[in-house]
Amino acid sequence: MTTTEIPRFVRADGPDKVTGSGRYTADLTLTGMLAAKFKYSGISHGRITRLDVTAAREMAGVLAVLTDADVPDVHYDPQIKDRTLFARDIVRFEGEIVAAVAALTPEIAEAAVAAIIVEYEELTPILDPEAAMDKSSPLVHEDWESYEAGSWLVRSGNTASFSSLERGDVDAGLAEADQIISSRYVADGSHAAPIEPRAVVAQWEGNKVTIWTSTQVPFDARAGVCETLQLPTNRVRVIVPHLGGGFGGKCGFHFEAHVAALARTAGRPVRLVFSREEEFTIPDRRREGIVVELTTGVRKDGSITARKANVVIDCGAYIADTAFFPQLAAMHAVGPYLVPNLMVESQIVYTNHQPSGSVRAPTAPQVCWALESHIDEVAKAINMDPVKFRLKNAVDTGMVGPLGQTYEEIGLRRCIQQATEAAGYGQELPENEAIGVAIGWWPSFASASGSYVKLDDDGAGQIITGAQECGTGAVMTLRQLAADELGMKPEDFEIIYQDTATGPYDMGATGSQTLLNNGRAVVEASQQIAEQLRELAADRLEAAPADIVLADGKAQVAGSPESAVPLSKLAAIAGSGKLLLGHGSGSPPVAPPIVGANCVGDQGMASWVGPQFSCHAVRLRLDPETGVTRVISVHADHDSGTIINPMGAHGQVEGAIIMGIGQALTEGTRYDETGKQMNTSLLEYKLQTAADSPSIHTQFVEVFTENAGPHGAKGLAEAPNIATAAAVANGLAKLIGSPMRQLPMTAERVWDTISEGGS
Amino acid sequence: MSNQETSKSVFLNVNGVSYPVTIDGGRNLLSVLRGEIGLTGTKEGCDDCECGACMVLVDGQPVNSCSYLAAQTQGREITTIEGVAPSPEEMDPLQTNILEAGGVQCGFCTPGMILSARALLERTPHPSEEEVRIGLSGNLCRCTGYARIVEAVQRTAAGAKTATGDTGQ
Repeated sequence: MTTTEIPRFVRADGPDKVTGSGRYTADLTLTGMLAAKFKYSGISHGRITRLDVTAAREMAGVLAVLTDADVPDVHYDPQIKDRTLFARDIVRFEGEIVAAVAALTPEIAEAAVAAIIVEYEELTPILDPEAAMDKSSPLVHEDWESYEAGSWLVRSGNTASFSSLERGDVDAGLAEADQIISSRYVADGSHAAPIEPRAVVAQWEGNKVTIWTSTQVPFDARAGVCETLQLPTNRVRVIVPHLGGGFGGKCGFHFEAHVAALARTAGRPVRLVFSREEEFTIPDRRREGIVVELTTGVRKDGSITARKANVVIDCGAYIADTAFFPQLAAMHAVGPYLVPNLMVESQIVYTNHQPSGSVRAPTAPQVCWALESHIDEVAKAINMDPVKFRLKNAVDTGMVGPLGQTYEEIGLRRCIQQATEAAGYGQELPENEAIGVAIGWWPSFASASGSYVKLDDDGAGQIITGAQECGTGAVMTLRQLAADELGMKPEDFEIIYQDTATGPYDMGATGSQTLLNNGRAVVEASQQIAEQLRELAADRLEAAPADIVLADGKAQVAGSPESAVPLSKLAAIAGSGKLLLGHGSGSPPVAPPIVGANCVGDQGMASWVGPQFSCHAVRLRLDPETGVTRVISVHADHDSGTIINPMGAHGQVEGAIIMGIGQALTEGTRYDETGKQMNTSLLEYKLQTAADSPSIHTQFVEVFTENAGPHGAKGLAEAPNIATAAAVANGLAKLIGSPMRQLPMTAERVWDTISEGGS
Repeated sequence: MSNQETSKSVFLNVNGVSYPVTIDGGRNLLSVLRGEIGLTGTKEGCDDCECGACMVLVDGQPVNSCSYLAAQTQGREITTIEGVAPSPEEMDPLQTNILEAGGVQCGFCTPGMILSARALLERTPHPSEEEVRIGLSGNLCRCTGYARIVEAVQRTAAGAKTATGDTGQ
């Protein structure tokens, strides 16, 4: 489909967003509102020897100054309770919050922060995750054993979470190989970098608090506030105004409780707005740096006999939501290939860097980049074309995958065939141009999720949902699902959303799960109303409810369109009797079993509901004199099941590919020798611009998928962010003659690799 | 800070309305628009001239309002996103087209993007794709990958869409 052929889909939140009338969190002002500022540690590792906030508290215009001593004694984080709201004794990264201030103006708050006295005994920063795994390494968390943690986690010292995937006999598999290829790849950390820096506003009325916040996960944010401030859920209301992007960077709970605590102490509403530098350095949502070591055994005919891998992930100072990352990364070190014997060990390791957290397809683009670069090395070693190699080894319908999951109908091979064909793979190209190809996979995340749907007495509809819109259009698409069930138009519905006090639970804009899970809930709720409408219509039209069809805003007898009644009339009748109310949550699909594989530290990631597949073919041009890479075009083919909203789906793929090109070429966090970030502005941390961006050609291999989302849909938002950097790498490797070993593949690194005659 | 010494009373003309404001001489236009005048459609993304979310027009020229002194705009015409639509019932073709082409996701870059596009179309009524891409290269978008925004600007240039009140679809 070209752009102009994609069906029109105008977002319900669109007019707010193009006219400037839509409110984002930082746009909110409340009477008497104060400004919040945080005092950060500014050092990566140290012991607090003195903390004195007296001068700050005494300043005119300062209404609250809080430290660890002023909030409940609670450790939090989802799977390992390793964190407190404010630093306690030890600071573990440069952005650790030592104190918080609320004052009449941001300027006074800043002056008060400057007046807080903190002295440290500086400790040696622990910055290399591989060295930190050593038994002799100093510990980031001396008390790690005392933390409450999930019993399924395998932990030891700085290794916060360990997982392995094992199948067959890897040594026997390697012994059968004609060639054994080993490689090591290192990916730097990077950032989600949404254009809206985060903001939080909190206001207490009596013993209840309302928090407006730029979060992707309002219910998680509420849970965090309840846990840390020790409040029941019904006294905390989290509302998300329009959200200015997230990409995972705004998942999890963090600053809402600090602002709520300040507002309670000050007795006034308080607003926190991050600067761009804070957005880069403070949140526990950096994309993790990863070291990937891969060994593959292969026969001359191109069949893989074994894979051995070791993955080391830089956790940073706190676990945040990353305890499942090792297993997810391990899956990407295997990839969607038939591998009979495998042994993958994977761990996430504490360091004194900013904490990592879920950023769009966590671990996947980095490990996919490593694996797919390695796959091209393997294919080259046996003189096989890398696309042919993938077609030979890729999983397909009816096959048993590397972890023993049997696949229903999937479209990976079609993705590979179509993307490479459309890209002109194999044709002769001008000098210094190449096409690199990579494939990726990603799960769909099943979760509990709820929605109400109602029709009022004039027939106008409302969808009241707990789902969160972060820009993807997933919540906007819910109107289409309700309209289809009720024979109405999407614009007949308004959506009430991202407010924990009105909508039922939803996991939030995370895990590509909104349409998958909340879509099912909306369909279920709409079906209940449809049933009521058919009964009402059956009475009036003297027909059986089963013979009533809802279409074009009317209920009509099947086969007799003249025998019809407008839905608005039925809604009016219901308005004085049994109201038209539906509620849905449905049972989340269950992941299929894994057969014949063992997992230590299992996090439920070895078998996937609605597995998604992709192939990206990237055509690029390299200037060998400077090392500068220019991406010319990207052909992307995706199996994300049935596509419900084509325009939204294309938008997801296009945005993710541009993000992927940034990850490939320019986006990487640089640290100084003490572990502090060096590139914390958009001048130094380069995002792709309109002028940089190539043409993107997307095709969907639509496979109806049972046991997934509504109408056979799978997730989509993260999958297209996985294979792009890998495809860029494979194009570059063809031109340079050897793979790039570090991500991002900056001009400087490319030039170095060329100069060294390959690595 | 000695506000009394440096602050002065000025009139700022924003979207055709004259606003009396008392401002510090060093105050940037963005904070005056958002904080004093109450027009929050203009966004702050970086305070560093890098993202373009705060783009407004001053006498038709696009400027990053985060780094433009408010005092310098006295006697000049400022256009913000709130001043782009011809009336509350009607959108500008750029607004309609960016929405219909799928160029809006989270929407945070959208106001700045629309103002940059408007300035571009003023000086180059029929831009090539490359001219559009260069014209918008000061506006970062993290959601869309730009293609649909570029298409919307080209559609507008081609007059494919006239102003419409059809905002609720």
